[in-house]
Amino acid sequence: MRFRLILRPHSEPGGFGRPANWFTFHFDTYMRGRPNSGGSSANGFRHMATIDSLSSESETHDEHGHDHDHPAWLAHHFDTPEQQFDSGKLGIWLFLVTEVLFFSGMFCAYAMFRMLRPEVFEGCSQFLNTKLGAINTGVLLFSSLTMAWAVRCAQTEEYKKLVVMIASTLSCAMVFLGVKSIEYSHKWGMGLLPPGSYFYDEANPHPTMQQIVDQHGFSESTAYFLTHSLYYLCAPFALLLVGVFIWLVYSKVTDKQFQYACAKPLLVVCLSFFGGVGLGMVLESGGEHSEHAVAHVDGEHAGEHGDAHAEDHAHEHGDEAGDETHAEADHADAVVASAEGNDVAIELLAESDLNTGAKAMLEAKQAQADMATGQIVPPGVEADLGIHKVERDVQTKRQAGVFFGIYYCMTGVHAIHILAGIGVLVWLLVRAIRHDFNRQYFGPVDYVGLYWHLVDLIWIYLFPLLYLIR
Amino acid sequence: MIPALTNLTRPMPFLADVEESFWFPKQASSFASEVDWVYDFILYICIAFFVPMMAFMVWTVFKYTKKKGTKAESQVTHNTPLELAWSIGPSVLLVWMFVQGSISYLDMRTPPEGSYDVGVQAFKWGWTMDYGGGTFHPELHIVKDEPTKLSMRSTDVIHSLFIPAFRAKKDIVPGRYNYMWFKPTVASEQVSEEELAKAKKQSEGGDGWDYDKYQFTPDGYTFFDLYCTEYCGTNHSEMQTVVVVHETQEELDAWIKANSSRPDDQTPAEWGQLLYNRRGCSGCHSNDGSKLVGPSFKDLYASEHALASGDSVVVDDNYVRESIIDPKAKVVAGYQPVMPSYKGQLSDDDIESIIAYLKSLSSNADAK
Amino acid sequence: MSTAITSRDPGYPTDRENYLTNSSGILSWIFTLDHKRIGLMYLVGVMTSFAVGGLLALGIRLHLLDPEGWMFTGAEANNIYNQVFTLHGAIMVFLFIIPSIPAALGNFLVPVMLGAKDVAFPRLNLSSFYLWCFGAIFFVSALFSSGLDTGWTFYTPYSTTTDTSVILATLGAFILGFSSIFTGLNFIVTINTMRPPGMTWFKMPLFLWATYATSIIQVLATPVLGITLLLLIAERTMHVGIFDPEFNGDPVTYQHFFWFYSHPAVYIMILPAFGIISELISVHSHKHIFGYRFIAYSSIAIALLGFLVWGHHMFTSGMSSLTTIIFSALTFTVSVPSAIKVFNWLATMYKGSISLTTPMCYAISFIFLFTIGGLTGLFLGTLATDLHLHDTYFVVAHFHYVMVGGTLIAFLGGVFHWWPKMVGKLYNETHGRIASLLVFLGFNLTFLPQFVLGSRGMPRRYATYDPEFAFLHQMSTYGALLLGCGLLYAFIVLMTSLAKGRRSPANPWGGATLEWACTSPPPYYNFERPPVVGDPYDFHNIEWDAQEEKYISTEPERKLVPEETPEEVPAHH
Repeated sequence: MRFRLILRPHSEPGGFGRPANWFTFHFDTYMRGRPNSGGSSANGFRHMATIDSLSSESETHDEHGHDHDHPAWLAHHFDTPEQQFDSGKLGIWLFLVTEVLFFSGMFCAYAMFRMLRPEVFEGCSQFLNTKLGAINTGVLLFSSLTMAWAVRCAQTEEYKKLVVMIASTLSCAMVFLGVKSIEYSHKWGMGLLPPGSYFYDEANPHPTMQQIVDQHGFSESTAYFLTHSLYYLCAPFALLLVGVFIWLVYSKVTDKQFQYACAKPLLVVCLSFFGGVGLGMVLESGGEHSEHAVAHVDGEHAGEHGDAHAEDHAHEHGDEAGDETHAEADHADAVVASAEGNDVAIELLAESDLNTGAKAMLEAKQAQADMATGQIVPPGVEADLGIHKVERDVQTKRQAGVFFGIYYCMTGVHAIHILAGIGVLVWLLVRAIRHDFNRQYFGPVDYVGLYWHLVDLIWIYLFPLLYLIR
Repeated sequence: MIPALTNLTRPMPFLADVEESFWFPKQASSFASEVDWVYDFILYICIAFFVPMMAFMVWTVFKYTKKKGTKAESQVTHNTPLELAWSIGPSVLLVWMFVQGSISYLDMRTPPEGSYDVGVQAFKWGWTMDYGGGTFHPELHIVKDEPTKLSMRSTDVIHSLFIPAFRAKKDIVPGRYNYMWFKPTVASEQVSEEELAKAKKQSEGGDGWDYDKYQFTPDGYTFFDLYCTEYCGTNHSEMQTVVVVHETQEELDAWIKANSSRPDDQTPAEWGQLLYNRRGCSGCHSNDGSKLVGPSFKDLYASEHALASGDSVVVDDNYVRESIIDPKAKVVAGYQPVMPSYKGQLSDDDIESIIAYLKSLSSNADAK
Repeated sequence: MSTAITSRDPGYPTDRENYLTNSSGILSWIFTLDHKRIGLMYLVGVMTSFAVGGLLALGIRLHLLDPEGWMFTGAEANNIYNQVFTLHGAIMVFLFIIPSIPAALGNFLVPVMLGAKDVAFPRLNLSSFYLWCFGAIFFVSALFSSGLDTGWTFYTPYSTTTDTSVILATLGAFILGFSSIFTGLNFIVTINTMRPPGMTWFKMPLFLWATYATSIIQVLATPVLGITLLLLIAERTMHVGIFDPEFNGDPVTYQHFFWFYSHPAVYIMILPAFGIISELISVHSHKHIFGYRFIAYSSIAIALLGFLVWGHHMFTSGMSSLTTIIFSALTFTVSVPSAIKVFNWLATMYKGSISLTTPMCYAISFIFLFTIGGLTGLFLGTLATDLHLHDTYFVVAHFHYVMVGGTLIAFLGGVFHWWPKMVGKLYNETHGRIASLLVFLGFNLTFLPQFVLGSRGMPRRYATYDPEFAFLHQMSTYGALLLGCGLLYAFIVLMTSLAKGRRSPANPWGGATLEWACTSPPPYYNFERPPVVGDPYDFHNIEWDAQEEKYISTEPERKLVPEETPEEVPAHH
């Protein structure tokens, strides 16, 4: 018969967690009485920095019957801590393999569609803000550092530092999500969506709610959501922030130290989300204009004029009416712009696949405009391409939509993994505050760390594939 | 009463035709004999393995079934040379199957230059063969000993064209053209005039021509079955048509000419009814008031219908026309927008004929 | 030594030890972490789904009794038929075959065969059972909302345009996928880290090898299904344009993604069956398995090669000729390891001492049926003949010979073999054998005619058919009824044993693997300490005790050198 002794102390008012020497105490009783560890257990234990050096000794426990007490953290069906650690480690690696394969499906889809339609991917990736992507990459890399550090702290039993490191990792995850919500909401407002709902119109990139309803046939509530999506994305986090704040105050008032210790870092974590949102807002408004210019004419062109137009752009933003002719008129390329400006109605007509007449008319006008500027080859097209392939061609529902479909699938599933990571990290944080981990039992921190590195690694691939390669 | 029980009294009805083998339908294309030969050869190999193996198993069971507690005669654990032999030995046969199969396959994949080209459009749930020059017909008509290439496309979901007698099959994937080819080697026979006249008389007033019942087409030709083999929804099993193989190109040309447009002696309503049966309308629209995938044509004309969008519409010439050209524009409430567009496939006269047919089916006052 | 001999028969468990009775109340089952109870709950679950799937199959067959359709009538007849065959396929694949052997029998057996107390992650194990239930609920709700009519393969663009509950069903399959991943992950870790002293890789029972190979596939292939179904849901809800041609997607991409999982999934279904048959043939022939290493390696070879052949489901879909030919070549390579196994089983029976017990009857019919299933695969791997046979009843017959004639028969054999171990009761052998004969005959009558139907050109998934096929279809339908009776009979045999069966000794068949070394049913802790083991197929020391009607082991218990540290033989490396 084997009994499982539950030695985990319950947190009591006035004191939480285990005493720092709890494990030492327990482990000594555990080791005592076995021939190999002998009297040196207390001292010998301190020299064991890693679990490997413990293994030869811990295996001895089998021989002295089964009524011995497993330490609380050793599950009853494992014989040794080493076996438990190895099992967990193999388990998490296998899980990571499944995660890699899970994403590999989308990477394959990306590769196939990029191969089939490279021009769509080149054209559309310019809508993604490289600065925001880079910031997020940096944030995630830093979080990987703090996570690795956290594992080390768990091994060395530096509890305070462990809590700090886990909390920093969490904060970075929140910043990442904050920046991401800026990116998402911005694109939703512009109609850069999967092909089913794509409605981006370069003549009027920031339509008002009414325009979305009138011109693109969305319902009012959808249009409201699309134009105010940032609020929707922030709302759950705001609620969370308020909840944590109330919890913090409550635990302070009722003098529940353990809860207070948990709520404190979590408040910082929640705040970091809004830090990320702020960061994103600042960078997004600076980086956006070049995208538009690119969308209109071509990359090189935009580089020249991007800065000069920053002010126009701000104007366009402030005046949400989105008076396209006005915005367009400010362009240096007046001929192209005015031609486009007058063509809004035709453009809208041409969006329907049935209306081939309007399409032909638009193309003819475009060609005329090109000739008027003295260009033989339209802007943005390499001379050797031969085929008349204007940038605007990729900005149709069917073309650009596929890029954004893949973009949202990949980054969305990645964001879900970040959310899941936040969930387990919070669980780790609470356990770390409870002093659950020690140099023999730091498996969970290690496993979550591996998971976090993988999520980070996937972003390291997503960033260049979606944002950088052009 | 189980209706099928009666059928049991006719054992193996399919063996009645002596030209067919037990395993296969009639060989009617240049691929057929090759495929059948490969099939038969693999079959013999399989039998050569299967029968001795099973005989050995049955023999061991009889020989070595012992009383409980008897020790086994031998406790041999392995015999590596023997095991290697039976692992590697049969592989030679596998290589042969692979090579032979691939050679024949490449043959079946590569249409010869100058094949006779027929366009195929598959839709839920029917076929339209495009003979060029605005002639469309659900039946596939081709010429004996003439390599025929099908250029196939689908307007909705994946279909697959299968002609068992030709041993030929290919999926039709929306969003791309798929091609297949074959060379028919057996021509269809023509049934006698009186038999045709009798059948025509019988089928008058019914729901169109019953190919299974008569085993020849309304033009009096025997045929080969053509199936859809990729599951495509409700009436997947009704998505069948027939292949008629003509002796000469002239015969085919004459047939095409006869079917290209409304003959002078037919009224628009008659022609409309023909189109209704031929062009796949009948798959989704009944003409007796029963609800199928689409609204029934009976009493449809000049009636008022609520639309899925919430508006309502009176079925007039313009609405019918729009529904044929752009079916998804105004969908009647309670139905799915699944109808393919017939834009460019029906002439103005065809559409007018269909309208005339609809009018003839409607008892609404305005229809007259 | 005499004490050693008697000590090798563990006798019978007390109520306190017996895993079925050591704690009571519904909650002790709902929250159990005991792998044996979880295995038993899985068994009930998969058998229930099998019953549902089987009734749907009868519905299909009865409808096809008449060329114009017999069972379902009215305007919706075709739709009902389509939903019935879709749900039959989806339920049988996702809810029955994939979890049948690994999750139900595997959960019960893996730790016991390893001499371990439990699987490595008992909580994960329980959660994977609940994920299975959750997935099943999704399927049932799909059934009761607007049904599902896409075929179990969910091919786009049909699945993105039909108005049935595709999302509910795909979510169900997605969740079931995770259940499957967690089970596989658990087994890999358990087998890697929890083997008892003395059990090297090549002293593992072959069932564990098969489970290990299966788990590799589950872990590596299922995530791809997960993402495929997720993208399908995204396609349906947001039109992301990856699979739907209307939005510039590519339906053939979906097929590649889908079969990348679903072909290896075929091996998830059949590999554990191989493992069971290896055990059954050896134990009931009382002879060492022939060519242990070849069988073990061939399991791993099948698992790995199985990843390279998915394209053979798409020979007609318009891949390039080169791709098609490469996939055909790879397909043939998979047939070799399967053939090796069959030869080895036959050689194991030769010169054995065969007891024609119920499990052995199933094992023999497995060899017969699986050989037919495997050989008919050659027709489909050969390109020329596949173009004719693809998507006809030939394919239907082929995969039923492999899935039903293979996996289901092996599952039944396994259930009859380990039933005394699971519940501690012996069933009536005579009735068990009659049931297995009925199943064998009914099965052949159902599916042999379908080969002919297919090669004569009858396409699959047809609700109505040309009258010339009627005779063969009717044969098939009557066979299905006979098969149904046989299965019901087998079920009744098992259920009566619960009420009336004789108490089972620890080792009713004379097996040498570890599960026969603990009581029937096993105590909740399986083994007090990890037993030291030798060859799992060494029957020299297993003796029949005619008086007590049980097998006992005369081998002295292996022990590590007493009172010594087992440093030389670490428990897990």
